[in-house]
Amino acid sequence: MTTSTKTIEIRVERNLATTPKDAFEAWLNPKVPGTPWNMAEKLVLNPHVDGLFYWLVRGTAHYGRFTEVASPARLQHTWMSPNTQGLESVVTVSFKKQGDGTVMTLVHSGLPDTEGGRSHDKGWNFFLDGFRQEIEKSKVA
Amino acid sequence: MDQLTNVLTALSHPTRRAIIARLSNGPARFSDVAEPFDTALNAVTKHLKLLERAGLIRRVKQGREVMISFQAEPLKAVATWVHEYERFWNESLDEFQKHFSSKPAKEKKP
Repeated sequence: MTTSTKTIEIRVERNLATTPKDAFEAWLNPKVPGTPWNMAEKLVLNPHVDGLFYWLVRGTAHYGRFTEVASPARLQHTWMSPNTQGLESVVTVSFKKQGDGTVMTLVHSGLPDTEGGRSHDKGWNFFLDGFRQEIEKSKVA
Repeated sequence: MDQLTNVLTALSHPTRRAIIARLSNGPARFSDVAEPFDTALNAVTKHLKLLERAGLIRRVKQGREVMISFQAEPLKAVATWVHEYERFWNESLDEFQKHFSSKPAKEKKP
């Protein structure tokens, strides 16, 4: 029996006021705010190809395996958590020099596109529910 | 700017949200859209331009009148955006970006 899960890809891009080398090193430094490792309650981080990470945040464990560590341009690792529902999602981070700065691109692919993966933050639900109602109304009209 | 940014910008103002709420009841003329607001017509025109840029409204000429209608499709981009991981990575990278911008820039040697 085969089962298929619809997956999605998330892409986030930022311009950083630094060099690709410094950005790459900072991204792997748990002391730097904004890196996922920075907010860990417990962290094991071995950023080498086939090295593993264990990241505990808000009581939820995340695991992954580094598949590419090519300083300063590219970093890739797998990512598993309760939210990936057993799927091995993939996080790819790249740093590209642009002028005096660096363009950082993070792509998180292979994420199950389920309700569980969607935000249940009250603010966003309020925001979206309002619009969902408007859309429903427009369908009726 | 990408479409998601345009949509979020368009949705960020209460007047524009009120305009969408009004148009979700059906297409309306400019004067009908502007009527409930205690604001200059020029300001309403600017709000409509932002909504149009985001693809949230469409203007269709009907005879001598222009009817404005609500288009729900771009809201899907917002629904996708609120995937938990998208929010997580956006917030993380905002912090990461700040880490560099708060550092004094390295002086270039002449």
